[in-house]
Amino acid sequence: MLKRLLLVRGAELLLFALLAAIPLVVTSSYALGLLTLLAIYGILLIGLDVTVGYLGQVNLGQAAFLGLGAYAAGIAVTRYGAGIPLALFMAGGLGTLLGALLALPALRLEGPQFALATLSFTALTATALNELEWLTNGAQGLSLQVPPLLGHALSKREFYWLCVLAFAAVWLAMRNLLSSQWGRAFEALRDSPIATDAMGVGTYRHKVAGFAFGSGLGGLAGGLYALNFEYLQPQGFQYELTVILLLGVVLGGRKSLWGAFVGATLVALLPNLLSSRFLFQAFSALGLAVALFAGLRGLARRTLRPFQALAPIVATATLVAGGFLVQNTEDWRKAIFALMLFSVVVGLPEGLMGFAGRALAALFRVAPPPLPPPAPLDEVLPPHLASGAPLLVLAGLKRWFGGVRAVDGLDLTVRAGQVHGLIGPNGSGKSTVVNVVSGLYAPTAGALSLRGAPLPQGSLFQAARSGVARTFQNLQLFSGMTALENVMVALRGAYRVPLPLICLGLGRGEERRAQAAALALLDFVGLGDQARTPARDLTYGAQRFLEIARALARRPDVLILDEPAAGLAHPDVLKQVELIRRVHQRGITIVLIEHHMDVVSQLCDLVTALDGGRVIAEGTPDEVKRHPRVIAAYLGAVEPAVEPAAAPPAPPAGVPAT
Amino acid sequence: MPVSFIVQMAVSGALMGLVYALVAYGFQLTYATSKSLNFGQGELVMVSAFATLSIMGTGLPYPLVVLLGLLFGALLGLAVERTGVRLALEQKSEGWILLTIIIGLFLFSFAENVWGRDDRPFPTPISSQPLNILGIDVTPVELSVAVGVLAVMLLVEAFKRTTLLGKAFEAVSADRDASELMGISATRTVMLSYALSGAVAALAGILVSPITTVGPTMASALVLKAFSVAVVAGLESGFGVVVVGLFLGALESLASFYVGSGWRDAPGLVLLILALAVRPTGVFGKAVIRKV
Amino acid sequence: MLEVKELYAGYGLSEVLVGTSLTVEAGAVVALIGANGAGKTTTMRAISGMIAPSRGEVLLDGQPVQGLPASKIARLGLAHSPEGRKVFAPLSVEDNLLLGAFRHLPRFFGFRKAGAADLAHVYDLFPRLAERRGQLAGTLSGGEQQMLAIGRALMARPKVMLLDEPSMGLAPVIVQEVFRTIRRLKAEGMTMLLVEQFAQAALEVADHAFVMERGRIAVHGTPADLRRDERVVAAYLG
Repeated sequence: MLKRLLLVRGAELLLFALLAAIPLVVTSSYALGLLTLLAIYGILLIGLDVTVGYLGQVNLGQAAFLGLGAYAAGIAVTRYGAGIPLALFMAGGLGTLLGALLALPALRLEGPQFALATLSFTALTATALNELEWLTNGAQGLSLQVPPLLGHALSKREFYWLCVLAFAAVWLAMRNLLSSQWGRAFEALRDSPIATDAMGVGTYRHKVAGFAFGSGLGGLAGGLYALNFEYLQPQGFQYELTVILLLGVVLGGRKSLWGAFVGATLVALLPNLLSSRFLFQAFSALGLAVALFAGLRGLARRTLRPFQALAPIVATATLVAGGFLVQNTEDWRKAIFALMLFSVVVGLPEGLMGFAGRALAALFRVAPPPLPPPAPLDEVLPPHLASGAPLLVLAGLKRWFGGVRAVDGLDLTVRAGQVHGLIGPNGSGKSTVVNVVSGLYAPTAGALSLRGAPLPQGSLFQAARSGVARTFQNLQLFSGMTALENVMVALRGAYRVPLPLICLGLGRGEERRAQAAALALLDFVGLGDQARTPARDLTYGAQRFLEIARALARRPDVLILDEPAAGLAHPDVLKQVELIRRVHQRGITIVLIEHHMDVVSQLCDLVTALDGGRVIAEGTPDEVKRHPRVIAAYLGAVEPAVEPAAAPPAPPAGVPAT
Repeated sequence: MPVSFIVQMAVSGALMGLVYALVAYGFQLTYATSKSLNFGQGELVMVSAFATLSIMGTGLPYPLVVLLGLLFGALLGLAVERTGVRLALEQKSEGWILLTIIIGLFLFSFAENVWGRDDRPFPTPISSQPLNILGIDVTPVELSVAVGVLAVMLLVEAFKRTTLLGKAFEAVSADRDASELMGISATRTVMLSYALSGAVAALAGILVSPITTVGPTMASALVLKAFSVAVVAGLESGFGVVVVGLFLGALESLASFYVGSGWRDAPGLVLLILALAVRPTGVFGKAVIRKV
Repeated sequence: MLEVKELYAGYGLSEVLVGTSLTVEAGAVVALIGANGAGKTTTMRAISGMIAPSRGEVLLDGQPVQGLPASKIARLGLAHSPEGRKVFAPLSVEDNLLLGAFRHLPRFFGFRKAGAADLAHVYDLFPRLAERRGQLAGTLSGGEQQMLAIGRALMARPKVMLLDEPSMGLAPVIVQEVFRTIRRLKAEGMTMLLVEQFAQAALEVADHAFVMERGRIAVHGTPADLRRDERVVAAYLG
């Protein structure tokens, strides 16, 4: 515990103490200017890292938010005589607001389309700043003077301290945010957006909030930028800057506060690097050495593909050669950025801090803080009363895909406290029913109700919020997160502290309680001792159990299990049956989709058989099994096997003979 | 304001819009095989135009110059695929977005330093004396753009629909691994699509340069609008880009007149963001069904 | 026809196969069985080149093919019908089949004519595909997609065919049909390597079977041998 505090927090404290102390020793105004820029870029890059690192999207809009923030602050000061706090508030506020507005459409998409939308936004912003002359003074630029802070005229050094203070505050806020449910949600939605929604976390709203937050930081940085330079021009905030900022984040290392700092240092120092020929030559030679070392080592150990090893070497060698051949390195600025960025993206995709971070983590093993004792299960999963009243009712449900009628007029009533089986041959519409109830698909027609109230349609997130939880036939765990975190993401009603307070670090008590609750659920499914294991490292069976624990964290009214025994070895099938039975005993209503007939027979109170998207039989497992239409459709006895010997072990012997 | 004047502006704008459509078509070609596109496509247009200009300086006959220009574009496209796209596709990541941006930046700087920062005229044997068709003035240069764009698109579409290799394009796009198992080399198919896309970019450069002149920044606005066209039409719709390109060209021609020439680029950008908001798969795109 | 010697392969840093060896004689049907996660599918993927083996040899008709790209191996005559079927959803049934014959059809024009005989053979085998030849593959039912996947592999006129879990997720009635087809192909002299979770059914059609355990072959022999092996019976045939 102490070691952890000392190493992790100590390093951060040292960084900011150093940053604050430098101007006491170095008094050159030039150096001070660079340091100020460093702090401002630090804030900017932390903001950019939210989308680029945590949301995993290429964001080409951060330069625009810097510009918008800068102009907001500039206009607030020159036109309305605002003080520093108000100007910065306006800058950050405008960034957040426009960020949210842009994110609402843009984050419905991913990948290239998102990058394009942000790129367009940058171009549009530049046009607007240029053309709205009555507001921004257009191409002539906007001059301003730093207003006094609390009646005190700030010296350049004091302004620098203000920037460092802001940087530290942003750093702290970001760290608190990332170690809360928000950080887990960001992680989760990159692993499986569908499961994130299905666990009631809301992929889209987290993405929009994350983008708005990052853009707000961009705006804040812009405000400081305006106050620092006291002169603004629209040309400063265009495509090139956006690319350089990306360079900073990627080079420093994504998903890392330290990475943002390293990146900011680099971006701030780059122009100087290029202005001195000697510095440039030395630096590019260093780059080549690193590329050679890393590349050859990677080749020898076969951890890198040849291209990954050779391309950075060629690129950095070009830099070195260019340093001797080219007259004026300033002219080739963009090509130099391009080559540097190329080498890093190809050869060191995790960035400098990602690389260093792993090395450091191996060097100093810091144990994670101990977990609290598990909460009492009755608190986490209060027992329900199995009343037998209709709970989930589907009436006349239809879902067509083009001409394919996957579900075609289905009526189904699931009663509280029962295990309701849903069987049918492949393509009979079981999965579609599950996907409609859980909100993945909107129904083409028909009504869904839960406890008599209509169930939201076509939204996984809304359906999850209304009390439906599900597992997935093809596992949808958050594979990079631990078992504990997987469950914690889904916990219902555990997180009430609002975002601003979380940023201030007031969410920790809640976090401990969530851990305790999640541990209780892990114990319940028998994974208590693997809480810290990443989900992807669990055995296949354990992953299926974890999906159930995660769904239970929703404290669902209805739990939908989509083929929970699929692919399990026989002993695990037995465990799974026993687990589902225990879930049932807590009074939770279960809809069970299953191929294994013996599992269905053992667990279900009532079974509905589907074929062609309609109900063909309903009753106790035994009744359904004997129903002639079920036998015809599902067991395939109508078409007598020509060569009985070739038939697989006759169903209903459900467990496949693997 | 006479109606004929408005029509005149809309028509010249629409002809320009065909160039956006052609560049957008270059995106679709690569998107079709690999779900990736070259963010530095504008630089491909520009560098190919410069290179063609240099080739022209040697005094070769015009058709041969054009052919060599297209070949240069194709080679450049291949280079982009090799350096910027292949690795990311093999790793099933979206790293190509960043890498193609970087390559574009490099090409831009390269052109700036090799060919200079100034705009240069681009000679063409095609006349720019306006013809009067139904009361509207159109120059043969503008018409050559229209003919070139439509001819190339028809050719490529015919290739995709009627040849087995064309079907292999679709197969690679649908399932890269499975097409490999059929003996279709996904890598070579993607390479071919990037080469085609590079040639299309070069053609766009050659067709548009006589109108706009050649300079390092000639394509930066062009490519943004091509992005808009591609996204608004949908990245998978072959002929949708023509319709949207014509529409956007006309729209911005009118916008620059009525709102101010500084706002010329705005309609495309707004349209793009709106299209994403209203119909993310594009006007002509198909809806995607999520699967679990 | 197909020989695998001491094969090592895996994903990233974890090795799934640790020295797998097996042989498929020309004209034989060989079954590969074993528990979930034993490495059956990985073996198939390493043979067909979908993943590159880190060590070991794969000989197709005597020619080493390990480390070649999958498309190259496919053009040499190995057809792999992968787990999960992987049909080209946005293409028609007939286009799917024609692409299956990519290795011997003309690339540009006249491919329909050149592929007509192979198409007729596949349609004869699966009349249901003939009925749906114009339909998009993505709209087929699971069973039809499986037939399409097998038909597509056949179109290549392969020397060896790998079938990975052809019965996965199918209703028993369809599984029977799939196994009938495998029998018929065997009668036509097709060489096949079959991964199957229905071990019983697989042993019914196979001439020889290999049992995998944790990345290597634990036991192999004729189906009759394996049925006598108590350990195998307990673990897989119970």
